[in-house]
Order: sequence, then C-alpha cells, then structure tokens
Amino acid sequence: MIRLEHVSKVYKSSARPALDNVSVEMDKGEFVFLIGPSGSGKSTFLRLLLREEVPSKGRVYVSNFDVAKMSRRRVPRLRQSIGCVFQDFRLLTNKTVAENVAFALEVIGKPRNTIVKVVPEVLQLVGLDGKADRMPHELSGGEQQRVAIARAFVNRPLVLLADEPTGNLDPDTSQDIMLLLERINRTGTTVLMATHDHSIVDSMRRRVVELDHGRIIRDDARGVYGVGR
Amino acid sequence: MRTSFVFSEVVTGLRRNVTMTIAMILTTAISLFLLGVGLLVVNMVGKMQDDYLGKLEVAVMLTNDISVNDKDCTQQPCSSLRSQLETTSGVETVVYENRDKGYERFKKVFESQPELAKLARPEAIPAMFRVKLEDAQRSDVIVQAFTGKAGVKKVDDQREDLDRLFGFLNGVRDAALALALLQAFAALMLISNTIQVSAFTRRTEVGIMRLVGATRWYTQLPFLIEAVVAGVIGAVASIGLLVVTKLFLLNRVLGELFAANIIPEVSMVEILFLSPILVGVAIAISALTGYVTLRLYVRL
Repeated sequence: MIRLEHVSKVYKSSARPALDNVSVEMDKGEFVFLIGPSGSGKSTFLRLLLREEVPSKGRVYVSNFDVAKMSRRRVPRLRQSIGCVFQDFRLLTNKTVAENVAFALEVIGKPRNTIVKVVPEVLQLVGLDGKADRMPHELSGGEQQRVAIARAFVNRPLVLLADEPTGNLDPDTSQDIMLLLERINRTGTTVLMATHDHSIVDSMRRRVVELDHGRIIRDDARGVYGVGR
Repeated sequence: MRTSFVFSEVVTGLRRNVTMTIAMILTTAISLFLLGVGLLVVNMVGKMQDDYLGKLEVAVMLTNDISVNDKDCTQQPCSSLRSQLETTSGVETVVYENRDKGYERFKKVFESQPELAKLARPEAIPAMFRVKLEDAQRSDVIVQAFTGKAGVKKVDDQREDLDRLFGFLNGVRDAALALALLQAFAALMLISNTIQVSAFTRRTEVGIMRLVGATRWYTQLPFLIEAVVAGVIGAVASIGLLVVTKLFLLNRVLGELFAANIIPEVSMVEILFLSPILVGVAIAISALTGYVTLRLYVRL
C-alpha cells in the first residue's frame, strides 16, 4: 500500500537531509506508528506521501500511484485516496459539523444525493450522531477531532494519515480517538500515525517505525515506544 | 462541477472584500467607459467621413476682376481655367457660380440667421468654380495646380476644415483610449490584488480542498469567477455611464448639431452594439488577470 525505496529529501535551506535513504513498506490494512523526536523526518515522510513534497532521490508508491513521478494533474486523485488528520483539527469554523464533512465531498464534485446519504453515516461511525448541526467551537477537543476524522474518512480512503492526532487531547480522550482509529483500521484502511505519545504506542502494541535524523533506526512488528533506550 | 458550491463561494468571497470589490468594479467601469467613448468617436469619425467626403468640394475663387465682369465665364482667363479644371484627371464636375448666384446661396445657407445674412454684401462674395472630385481625399492636386494662377484669388479646400475637425475628434479618441489603457492597468492591479487577498483570507478552505483532493479547477474557479463577476458588473456600470452621458451631456450640449445632422448622432443603438464588446473585454481581462495571478502568486 505504501512503499518507499531509498528515499532522500534535502531541503534547500538545510544541509542535513530531512530523510536519508529511507526504504520501508506498509501493507494494506496495517496500523503503523511513526515515531521519533521533532525534526526526525516524520512530517516530511507524511508530506512525501501526499505529494506536498517531491523526494530528492528515490521512489514513493501509494497504492498504484508512483507519487514522485506522477503528473500534477493526477495529484488530486492521489489525495482523494488518502485521508488526513492533524493535531490542530483544521475544521472550518464557520461551518457546522455536517457541513465540514460534506465540504470534503462537495469540493471533489460528489453529487448532492450521495453527500446527504454518507455524511450522517460517517458521523454515526465516529460517534457524533445528533451533533451534526453544532458549530466546531461548541464541541470539545475530542469531538472536534472526531469531526476531522469523519471528514478524512468520509470518502473511504485507502490510507489514513494521522499527524499527532492526540497531541492536543487529554489521555482519556486520546484513548477514545485511538479506539476510533482502530475501528477505521478494521474496515481495511491502512492507518499511519505519527506520534510522540508513549502510552498510546505502548498500549496498542502495533508496528512501530522509528525515525531519527532522517533514518529508520527501528521497525518492530509489535513495538513499544521506549524500547532499547 | 457543483455549480451551487462554486456560486456560494463566489458570493461569500465578494462580500468578504467589499471595499476591494467596489474599487475593482469602479476602476473597471471607468476604464471601460473611456474605452467606450474612444470607440464611439472612432465610429463617429467614420460616419462623418462617409457623410462629408461625398459632399466635399474644392472652391476655386476668382479675382474681383472676373467676379465683376464675367457673369457667364465666357471671357479669358475664366474660360480657359474652366477647361483646365474640366480636363484635370479625377475631377467629376465643375460648376461656375457667379457673384449673384453665390450671394443667393449664401443667403440660403444662413436663412436661420438673418442678421448674419444682412451683414454680407454681394460685392464681398467672389465668383468661383465649385469643383467636385471623384475622390475627395485627393483635393490637394487641385489646390497645388491652381493656387496662384492668373485669375485665381484663392483655392479653398473644404477638406482642410474637415480635417481640423477630424483632428480634434481623433485627439479626443486618442486621449480617451490612452486614459482607458491607464485605467485598465489600474483595474488589472486591483483584480490581481483582490484575488491574492481573497485567496489569503480563504487559505484554510483552500488548504483543506487541496488536502482532500479537489482539482485545480475546483480550488481556483471561485476566485476566477469572483474576478469575472466584478468585471461584468463594472462593464454594466460603464454602459450605464455611457447612456447617462448621452442623455444628460451629449444631448444637451450637442443636441442642435445632432438635429441639424452636422454631427452624426450618437444613438442608443450604437451604445447597445458597443455593450457586448465592453462586457467581452471585461470578461477577457478579468479572467486572464485572475488566471495569471493564481498561477504566479497563489499556491493552490
């Protein structure tokens, strides 16, 4: 589902590469934690998958997309098959919960009758049924993140990228969000989550890929956060 | 493409930048108004040329000696001048008009201003040949050949008077078009700026659109349409300005000249014909500016 082959990324402003000859493969339906300190290359990793960046060297594959080589015109296709969740939720503050989710479908040209059908479904999946007409500022942080997850998942992506999704949430709420991500993973969606959160990684016992200074220093099938340090 | 989505984006976009939108509309309107004035003058000069060139004559005025003594142009040098004129190539007709007939015509021309007609004495009016040319543009041939000849007092080319008028009108046209160009430049900058501001205020939306895989068209079209809508409103306003100018300025100041058919009237029909051109120019310029701005300055 996701495959990187000898990928390096050097930014113009920095001498040290953000990613240094990284090769890794993640299968369909896997749940993978991407861990490492700030500046270890986690964000660059995610940005490469979305084609926000192009690698300086190496190849990137997501599903059938040759991400580094594809034409600009095909990029929207790639992004439609990837869902994204962030630490800061990135909701539209002037739209309701349902409108926020619907927005993701409207802008890719989905027909109205599909939207009115799938939006309530996905809101129910993330446990927000009954809150469709609330504004984001009326919701708790955990609920806002659920809206963001609903928006990322509503188009049934092959891959869900989560960049520190629990970074702004308390431990209990974080746990709920993880349960939700697991549920999404069980539908067959590959989930790749970048995080700093030891307890979550340790409790989930999933595959852990650790980056440091742009290199993969660990890839455990059933890892914990702090092993070997 | 979901039109309702794009449309609602456009409306919110225009409302969010009301001041910029108004500035954009006004500059566009003024620019197009000046363009309209320029085009109307071009039209007017064309019509006047058609109208007048057919009627233009060269008047070969004769000396007092001939005016007094030779009523039918039978003596020398009048008769030889006539045959010379008639054999000059390009001359269509030559009519001899003696002093009395000239005076009659003068009185008729100034019928409406009797005080002026009274002032003139027949003695002040010379006998003349009224020469009509196949091509009025080539009157200088006659002027050159006959000025200073024995018996010729003066060769008066009506085209020169008309040229002076055309020169004035063409000056108005050039000034209007130059100002239109300058204003168009200002409008261009404003359009570009408005789009940049608009894109900045909507960067969260646009960011999410990019993220969920909206195509370039989907992200950019609202901005483009915003510019085009403002442009079209500007064009409509400029047409309104033209109509108002015709009704309240031209009709009052030049109304008599229009009525007397001295200057061809700027009709509503002409303005009507002009409006699709103005709207088209507005659409083309705003769309092009918008497109280039989005390409160059806005990362979508």
